[in-house]
Amino acid sequence: MHLTDNQLNEYLDNESAQRAEIETHLDSCAECAARLLALQTLFADLDSLPEAPLSKNLAARFAPRPSLPAQLPRWLTLTAVLQAAGALIALMIAVPFFSLMLPQVETPPFAIWLIEVQALWTSSLDALSNLALSFVEGYQFTNLPTYPVELSTLFIALAVVSIFWVFGNGLLLRNQTK
Amino acid sequence: MNALTDRDLILRARRGEVEPYGELVARHQTSVFNVCYRILHNRADAEDLAQETFIRALDRLHTFDLEREFSPWVRRVAANLCLNYLEAQKPSAELDEDRDEDKTQSPAEQVEVKERSAQIRMALASLPPQYRIVVELRHYQELSYDEIAVEMNIPLSDVKSHLFRARKLLAEKLHASD
Repeated sequence: MHLTDNQLNEYLDNESAQRAEIETHLDSCAECAARLLALQTLFADLDSLPEAPLSKNLAARFAPRPSLPAQLPRWLTLTAVLQAAGALIALMIAVPFFSLMLPQVETPPFAIWLIEVQALWTSSLDALSNLALSFVEGYQFTNLPTYPVELSTLFIALAVVSIFWVFGNGLLLRNQTK
Repeated sequence: MNALTDRDLILRARRGEVEPYGELVARHQTSVFNVCYRILHNRADAEDLAQETFIRALDRLHTFDLEREFSPWVRRVAANLCLNYLEAQKPSAELDEDRDEDKTQSPAEQVEVKERSAQIRMALASLPPQYRIVVELRHYQELSYDEIAVEMNIPLSDVKSHLFRARKLLAEKLHASD
């Protein structure tokens, strides 16, 4: 009477409750010992299978995404603040200017308030220029262009905003591409 | 981060940190890939399934018992995913022809190992899906019969019959190719 395949498999898998009996039989039965050896060879073949290398890194998917520095340099923050302030000033100047240029558009209450601020600003500039002229006696400013003050103020404000915009955004973009 | 244990990395990953999980993937990706490769015998599919395994494992990380080892757990997740994949696939799935190599051996030995490995992989790939999974769990993940039955949700008698028949088929194919 030979051992069954199940008995041999369970014996090699350490799942048999009849180990002593099976070993006794194997000692005296060459045929069953040969079948056991064939099964052990198969186990060795399966164990000999080497690990194949990966062709890509699966961990890359779980790598943290690059982000901007948590805090921008102080000087860059200052530039951004100046840029925002310049844009705000330009807006305050532009709203009454365009309201005056386009009288058919209904002027909102906010624009009326800004027109008053604009008038105050214009009179301040006039007073400042008169004060400056009083120090330069006898000189005639005949070659100065005769733009309305509102328009020249707008040009100055837009120029300042443009400089800050180009400078500030250029630096911010450069910082991101690093 | 190398000094951290798998348990430390899992705890941090559970808190939502990405980088520790990436480190965990980097540590276990080769073994998980090889589980998939032994079962599927197709490199591209195996890499996809290995990636999917780590995504599933991350979703289920809160259910992982911290008192146990991460590697056996994630490899069982991989085996189950592969079984589901095979059962959903048609039997005409393409198999890879690439071979294993060990650069520490002489060229002649390398050729021999490659050929033998290819034979074993082809023999494994020819088995029915359920047999492949049982062989994987028993021989490469060293689960007991009872553990395999729980893992695959099949009776213990089926585990034994699948495993013993799979071995018989493997032995026939490997002896036929000798």
